[in-house]
Amino acid sequence: MKTRVLGVAGLLAVIGAAFFGLFVVPADLNQGDAQRIMYVHVASAWIAYLSFGVTAMAGLGYLWRRDLRLDAIALAGAEVGVMFTAFAIWGGMMWGRPVWGVFWQWEDPRLTTTALLLALYLGYLLLRRLSEDPARRATRAAIVGLVAAVDIPIVHFSVIWWRGLHQGPTIGSPDKLLHPSAPLQFVAALLLMLGAFTLVWSYFMIRRYQLARIEWQIEEHGRVGRISAARRAAFGAPAEEPIR
Amino acid sequence: MTDLGFVVAAYGVILGGVAIYALTLVRRLRIAREASLRIRRDADAAPPTPSGGR
Repeated sequence: MKTRVLGVAGLLAVIGAAFFGLFVVPADLNQGDAQRIMYVHVASAWIAYLSFGVTAMAGLGYLWRRDLRLDAIALAGAEVGVMFTAFAIWGGMMWGRPVWGVFWQWEDPRLTTTALLLALYLGYLLLRRLSEDPARRATRAAIVGLVAAVDIPIVHFSVIWWRGLHQGPTIGSPDKLLHPSAPLQFVAALLLMLGAFTLVWSYFMIRRYQLARIEWQIEEHGRVGRISAARRAAFGAPAEEPIR
Repeated sequence: MTDLGFVVAAYGVILGGVAIYALTLVRRLRIAREASLRIRRDADAAPPTPSGGR
């Protein structure tokens, strides 16, 4: 019930934030209406970082505690993170075409490392399908999730470390947080969208975690069923029956 | 395409994607819960065995 309330709150917050960003905040003097894309693009990218950060931390926790609930959290983070990374890339492309004149440029470090991040966590999700043993799957996934997380700071600092098409951070340091280089209304729209996406993200994480736990139980039941069937085939009698 | 077209494309895909994922997730969860319940019901309906139902 509480999760449902969270979902409804997230939905209303996203509608409100989208309305604010699209109809209340004025268009940018230089970029025009295309600037409005930033609110969903940047918020998606930050939520993607958060998701993959959770995946890495939960994976580390799994390797330490061997608790499959942590693996379910890691899976939830990866799936939701992949979706938000794809949204960030899509939003960036839709903004890049009218402002930069191109949808994509492979020479840009931020764009390329973000594409790599998406590929790494897609690989993470595919890797999970290779093993039926939950413990082995969780261990492999945790290691891949941790290795892939190395790309998160590379994506974030790529605009500082290397020169490219992508602009530097508008808000990134405590100094810029207090004195952002964008007008306050633009920052408010961005933070509003970030808050709304965080609510939706929390809802997705809880639901995906619940789904992972149920899927694991069903999988476990299937495994027990297969063992029983194998016993029946080997001994020629139902496994449940006592040996006479 | 005009700037507005790109804005619509960006918001449409992202917000639409969020909505589709939410609906898909709820549906997947419902199907999984039903399957889990069915398994539990079948297990309860099965005759008791010396190995405790396994």
